[in-house]
Amino acid sequence: MRAHMRARMRAHMTEIATPAPASAPAEAKPRRVRRRVPHRTPHQAVRPSARLGGPLAALPWALPAFAFVGVLLVYPFFRSVYGSFFEDDGFTSRFTGIDNYTRLADDPVFGRSLLNTLMWVAGTLLLPVLLGLLIAVATHRMRFGGIAQMVIVLPFAISAAATAVLWNFMLTSDGAVNQFLRGVGLDSWAQTWLLEWPQNTLALIVAGTWQATGINVVLFAIGLRVIPRDTVEAAELDGASGWRMFRYITLPQLRAVTVVVVGMAVVNSLKAFDLIWILTKGGPSRSSETLALTMYREAFRLFHVGYGSAIALVLSVIVVASSWAYLRRQMPDTGWARG
Amino acid sequence: MPGTKPTAHPAHPPVPRRALLTAAAAAAGTLATACGTAKGQPPGKVAVFGDSAAWSAPMAAAGAAMKSVAGLRLVPEVNPSLESFEQVVKSSLRTNKTPDMLKYWSGYRLQDLARTGGIADLSGQWDAAVARGWADRSLREAFTYRGRVYGLPMNLAYWVFFHNPEVFAEHGLQPPRTWGDFLAAADRLKRNGVTPLHGTADGRWPSFIWFQEILSRQDPRFYDDLMNGREKYTDPRAERALRTLASFFDKDWFTPMDMNHVDAAAALVHGKVGMLPCGTWLGSTLTASGGKPGKNVSAFVLPMADPKARPAVVFESSALVATVKGPDRAEALKATRNWMHPAVMKAFSHALGDGCPNPKVPAANPVVGALAKKVRGDRLWLLNRFWEQGPPELVEATVDDLAGFLLNPSSYRKVLRTMQDRADEAWKVWREAERT
Repeated sequence: MRAHMRARMRAHMTEIATPAPASAPAEAKPRRVRRRVPHRTPHQAVRPSARLGGPLAALPWALPAFAFVGVLLVYPFFRSVYGSFFEDDGFTSRFTGIDNYTRLADDPVFGRSLLNTLMWVAGTLLLPVLLGLLIAVATHRMRFGGIAQMVIVLPFAISAAATAVLWNFMLTSDGAVNQFLRGVGLDSWAQTWLLEWPQNTLALIVAGTWQATGINVVLFAIGLRVIPRDTVEAAELDGASGWRMFRYITLPQLRAVTVVVVGMAVVNSLKAFDLIWILTKGGPSRSSETLALTMYREAFRLFHVGYGSAIALVLSVIVVASSWAYLRRQMPDTGWARG
Repeated sequence: MPGTKPTAHPAHPPVPRRALLTAAAAAAGTLATACGTAKGQPPGKVAVFGDSAAWSAPMAAAGAAMKSVAGLRLVPEVNPSLESFEQVVKSSLRTNKTPDMLKYWSGYRLQDLARTGGIADLSGQWDAAVARGWADRSLREAFTYRGRVYGLPMNLAYWVFFHNPEVFAEHGLQPPRTWGDFLAAADRLKRNGVTPLHGTADGRWPSFIWFQEILSRQDPRFYDDLMNGREKYTDPRAERALRTLASFFDKDWFTPMDMNHVDAAAALVHGKVGMLPCGTWLGSTLTASGGKPGKNVSAFVLPMADPKARPAVVFESSALVATVKGPDRAEALKATRNWMHPAVMKAFSHALGDGCPNPKVPAANPVVGALAKKVRGDRLWLLNRFWEQGPPELVEATVDDLAGFLLNPSSYRKVLRTMQDRADEAWKVWREAERT
């Protein structure tokens, strides 16, 4: 909607800027001026009248898209919000007001789950993003750097389910990691990685990192390639190199990409599910559940549909609020931030 | 189901890990397509909707046998994701889109379904089967809701301790006949560098196994009462069971609690693990790991800890259910009248490789055959499994509590208190629903 309005405003501005007959009295004639020159797109030029109909003219074209989003996103969302005020076991439902939400506050599983979710967000920002940046910078313009990047990107091409099976082989008590540690004499480092909190969540984050770093490397590598050569050369002439080059030239130039990477990382970590589900099922004793898993278990395993909806709503609010707050602050000069 | 997919459903023989990938991938897909299962089959065919790919072939075999017995073919339909299977069943039961026949759980899970009024009363079929000697009378309770039978038994697995006779012989051990023998065997295995017992919390549901086994041997009556909400988890007898387990932990008798059943089966065959408690359906996994029934794989029923108590064994049996609103209802009911027929049961249980609820059908697997003979000969008290006992949502939560205990055995008092709090709540809800 906002995009549409802005388009209109811009259209107005071009109309005003169009060289109109100098004598045209602004108050007498409509300001609409027929254009002769295709201003924006060739498509417009073939239409004799620039504006067919009013602002609603676009509606029929947008309708299928609106319908899709409405049926598949907006309606289910509001239906869940509505459902979260009921105690519902899938067969019968009873209005209970905000009971489901007050229950959340007392539920130790929800508390743990929220904490795990925050650990996932922090961990995902710390590991895959930082690591992705480091690897991209380190392999940039390196000999065989492209190949090195390829190798790191590969896990990204594997499905999360397969990744989980692989990491299960690594992380069980008699798994590859512990066997390796015992093999090199670090017996005391061997852990029950998946059985105890918080190390199970940490181990899962590491497993997630293995998979998620690749795409960040690709994005940062693209960002590095579009840094203008002359900027770098100018900095070199000024004597910048190493850390100073990275800190004052590379990093600021990567800002646009960083916004995308961090934004994606936040959202992905908030919806982390498949890896956890297959590796630990959120267990043992529900200790590695994130909000997404808690919601799934309550709504679809225990058929506490109302309670599950309440958790889903909390999760949605967190996802939307954090991405919006982040993008609003960070989106580089598009005018969006000054809304 | 262990091994085949990442769900909590412990009913059938696991398939190797490779299948997990396929199943996990399929699970995602089926969630999206799950709604359109029941279209009805052409005349002469009835679909049986289940959650296990491993049961497809046995069901097809039973279907072929049914064709010659009753002129009706059973066609397996599988939704390999436990979650979406249950969702489809529960949400479609009241509509005419519901599947005609289902493979479901026995016990309270079946009752949960029966009280929706969506599944057919099969008491007549059951009585007819018992009259012909086609069904084990003592299984009736597991398929009953308010005195009526709503499901027919499909398989009959016993919960036993698998062991490797070659390893036992090597250490001068016999399958234990008394509780003392069992403790001594574990002790000797431990001293000889074999991990005596397999225990696991992997996949969530297996956390109940040891509690179920110990409690039902120390006091089967109490187990039965507790599972049916007549006793409390905070009872000293429940505490004693967990203390016994804690003492096993103190002696370091258990495997790491994240060793899954597939790995444990291999470890048993290779002599790394001494005893493995599981349903007899694990037999196929053991065979897949190189086990040869009777040679390096055998099984015994855990002896009673209290010799004065009535000897008991835990069983597991899936239910064949006919829905009320399914499109091929008449044919589905006809199929239930012939399900317990020895020819059908034989085809099914031999393809499955597990025990058969029809006593007239001999087991294909010699280990299972010997167990069935012992159970029937000694007239052991058949107790339903923890998973099928009590309101399903209580069980879903208590397995997590028991997992907490397995990882921190000294917490048993707190765990039992938590379990009792849940039980109070869940039984209250269950009984309220009963009244309406």
